[in-house]
Amino acid sequence: MRARRLLALVLSLTLPGCGFAWRALKRNLAAPPERTVAHQIVDPKRPEARLAALWIGHATVLIQLDDRFVLTDPVFAHSLAQASPRLVEPGLAPERIPALAAVVVSHMHFDHLSFGSLDRIEQRTPVVLVPPGVRANMPRYSFEIRELERWASWEHEGLRITAVPVQHVGGRYALDAAFETRAFTGYVLEYHGLSVYFGGDTGYLPSAFKATRARFPTLSLALLPICPDAPRDFMQYTHVSPNQALDAFALLGAQHMIPIHFDTYINSDDALGACPSELRARMQARGLSDDQISILAIGEQRVLIAK
Amino acid sequence: MQAAPRPRVMSPVAAVGVWAAAQLIPSPLLVIGKEHVGGGLRWQLTPILYSFGIAERPLRTFLVSPIARHSGSLELHVSPEWACCAPDEQSGWLVRAGLRLYLPLLEHGEKLSWSVGGSYYRAAGGDEKNGASADLGIFTFNGVFGLNVTVSPWLTRRELIAAFTFRLF
Repeated sequence: MRARRLLALVLSLTLPGCGFAWRALKRNLAAPPERTVAHQIVDPKRPEARLAALWIGHATVLIQLDDRFVLTDPVFAHSLAQASPRLVEPGLAPERIPALAAVVVSHMHFDHLSFGSLDRIEQRTPVVLVPPGVRANMPRYSFEIRELERWASWEHEGLRITAVPVQHVGGRYALDAAFETRAFTGYVLEYHGLSVYFGGDTGYLPSAFKATRARFPTLSLALLPICPDAPRDFMQYTHVSPNQALDAFALLGAQHMIPIHFDTYINSDDALGACPSELRARMQARGLSDDQISILAIGEQRVLIAK
Repeated sequence: MQAAPRPRVMSPVAAVGVWAAAQLIPSPLLVIGKEHVGGGLRWQLTPILYSFGIAERPLRTFLVSPIARHSGSLELHVSPEWACCAPDEQSGWLVRAGLRLYLPLLEHGEKLSWSVGGSYYRAAGGDEKNGASADLGIFTFNGVFGLNVTVSPWLTRRELIAAFTFRLF
């Protein structure tokens, strides 16, 4: 820790004004130790729920649709690419994750696709759904890795998962974004009349949200990213702001929204807590209630539709 | 509210250009010979690599993603090399061609991997122009940084070479 702080001090003295990347690097080097989650849920199965969501952190959410469980963008890593330390431990230990019907991965960036994290749940899922181009950039696992083109669906025992359009960039190692131009997606999960939208990472693209609503007019829940927000001129292409997330929620016409993708890793200029605070302010201005939009703490589970 | 502008992504041609430029960045060498310690530079190209750790498309040429290499692979590499301060009768330049096996240690090799290989070299000038080498390496940070140690028992004044590798794809 002392060495990291010293390096942060050296960088702050020697690299002033070198842009967002350096600022993020310096903030990561000075990051506090990983905070633990008090009163972690031991058994996430909720027999009384038709639809429940447990925010494990960042874009990782355990979704219960009646008796089926789906996990989004599983990342349990203590650091991203050995550079960005985790700020809060995962809200649910991987060994406590129940048997999954499927895992969905939105794209290849390190904060959404973690090979070490997939190792830890390898025996719990039969399939991992990914956008086009990702399979050739993943190691071998015992589960099936299935690529889904936009609007294509995977279906198994009544659970249907469809890839839906979002605006982002593909690739994993920066340079490969030039080649992996289709390697990002959102998803809609459908089961027993319930439907959940998972936005992964997305810029504000009204046409995509409207097209999704046209095909899925009765979304029960939208999981939408609200961060990173700043610097806005850099983030605007690929990340919605908290206010734009509310616009996306309105365009999707979902019943409930749970914001994700904030305060787990440092990947922006946003202060900790800034994105949910901005979201709360915008919710108040629009007259949106906590019933409609549930801002969860990491490790918190919410039953959205009871039996 | 207006739609966000489309993300600015490098064109594939420009990306290949960046990759090609990155290949020009040499790995610095610490050259340790009998009664001699010097420096040098090494470059590497990978004409073909077979990855047995990747889920799809195991054969790659030149532009190889880190996960394809470090999740477990066998590569054919060509490595021009220059060592400083060779004896008067020898040039500092040589070229190697060899096979190298990469095996993952942590997180499918993205966090840590190692390699073992053998190569055949041809040095410019001198009597001992050709010979064989063996090498051992360790890599981290998605294979960007590594240390590779090459042993060439019959290469005068360059019997042991430590290369501090930097590789972008």
